[in-house]
Amino acid sequence: MERKAAIREFLRTLLVRRRDRQPFSDETSLFLSSRLQSVDAVVLAVFLEENFGVDFAAMGFDPERVDTVNAILSLIEESSTLLSG
Amino acid sequence: MTAVTDPLATAPVSAPERFFWGLRLIPRIETYPAVLAFAKTFVGKLMILGLFGIGLWYLNWHYRALTLVLAVITAFPRHRRVLLTASTLVWACGLWWRWADHPQLIQVAIVLVVAQLLFWLATGFRNSWFGRRPVAGLLAGFALLVLLANYLPRGGSLRTVSWHFLTVAAAYLWFIAYSLLDISSKSCDPFTLQVGTYQPFWGSTAVPFVKGAAYLRRIEAQNAEQLAVTQLKGLKLLVWAVILNLFLWKAFLPVVHAYIGIPLYDDIFDLSMRRAAFPWYLGWASLIAHFFERLAELSIMGHRIVASCRMAGFMALRNTCRPLASRSIAEFWNRYYYYFKELLVDCFFYPTFMRYFKRRGHWRLFAATFAAASFGNAFYHFFSSLHYIEELGFWRALEGFQSYIFYTIVLAVGISISQVRERKIENLSWIRGRLIPALCVTGFYCVLSIFGDSSKRYPIQECFRLLAHLVNLIH
Repeated sequence: MERKAAIREFLRTLLVRRRDRQPFSDETSLFLSSRLQSVDAVVLAVFLEENFGVDFAAMGFDPERVDTVNAILSLIEESSTLLSG
Repeated sequence: MTAVTDPLATAPVSAPERFFWGLRLIPRIETYPAVLAFAKTFVGKLMILGLFGIGLWYLNWHYRALTLVLAVITAFPRHRRVLLTASTLVWACGLWWRWADHPQLIQVAIVLVVAQLLFWLATGFRNSWFGRRPVAGLLAGFALLVLLANYLPRGGSLRTVSWHFLTVAAAYLWFIAYSLLDISSKSCDPFTLQVGTYQPFWGSTAVPFVKGAAYLRRIEAQNAEQLAVTQLKGLKLLVWAVILNLFLWKAFLPVVHAYIGIPLYDDIFDLSMRRAAFPWYLGWASLIAHFFERLAELSIMGHRIVASCRMAGFMALRNTCRPLASRSIAEFWNRYYYYFKELLVDCFFYPTFMRYFKRRGHWRLFAATFAAASFGNAFYHFFSSLHYIEELGFWRALEGFQSYIFYTIVLAVGISISQVRERKIENLSWIRGRLIPALCVTGFYCVLSIFGDSSKRYPIQECFRLLAHLVNLIH
């Protein structure tokens, strides 16, 4: 839950920077709907690298996989499995 | 399908903005329940398709064939992707059959076979170098082939055959790149469906409209309601294209060039190259008019293509969306030619950012931005103009490309600074917060366009000379 809250808060900050204060659910598309842009994707990537140890160099980066809160959570899970495996 | 919004639609706006952006020439008919209910009926679909066909007819764009294809796809929404592939292949036959002085269908077939081979290699050998970097492999391979073709003896049949093949391959290059990028997706489409996105029937340039199969999966209408909304938005976008087209050809061009008498930009450049005298303000007027003409032309083309894509049931984002409202250089780049920007971001920006300079903070962002806005941009345009390379030779063509390279470098610097610099506008007035930044950004791109004409190859010193003339440094 803490993880999800941290991600939601971070995404909310990114949206506010784009003057977007609309609510978003865990399934709301953020990048493919253009609410967030490529530069936000890289800021998010750095956040995920630093806070959750996601290695995009190994996993490859696909905006679809960070498009929603739930997609980000799955990505972190997959990354943890990859690291522990 | 995800809800697709305009980038500005979610932003809170001030009173003057509310007034300007609140004005709608075309109402949001897709939100009216009665219209939506009608759009779901057989008669409603027929009417939408009919109106769309009239719009295409006005824009002089294959209205009969395109309306027929859209009608078939509307009638069988469950088979949309398969029909897309079939229609695109039929369309390709028509397109390449008319190509220049002789048909190029054999070259198209070879390109598709090569694409399938590359797709298979990248899928089957994921741990190989090509499997890990398929797009880099594709682009490097293509560049190498062009370089080698350059050394084939002139007048020989091998050279002619090679350049014909490379010309067709160049038209499909970035579509294949998107297919190779899709391989890393969990729900990657088979190659047969990927082909549907290669120069699709709704129209495209060498820039894939609208991206690749991964994007289409995400934006496809999943039920009758979504299809109705998507088609209504498609129809609205086509109406926008018609309005812009009317404005450009019936008002802007006649008034600016015929009534006021502002010369064409090409003529001004010719005058500058011939060292002929002309007033500096006339140069500015011509440059600004040219900048807006290109913006309108790009909008019309993008709206028409995206509208057709929406009519086929894919809720694609607009290619050009209020670029003049941009408050930063990066924002303008995103709004001016969205699918080109996306191509560079997907093929150059993300790979560079995720792999290199990971501990270098802002340098990581600079490097990725340069990889996309400068290197990727120059690569795309250099290899899109193969006729220059064929005529001049590889190295002379590269030499003649220096003004565009300069353009991409300045653009990358501008975008990099704009990305790093965060502007707080919360407490600024509409004039300081929106109008002045928008004018500065538009001014930046307008001046930079002197160097950024990729269709003509003016020497860089001539571009600088014109700029010096415009700021009244020389006469």
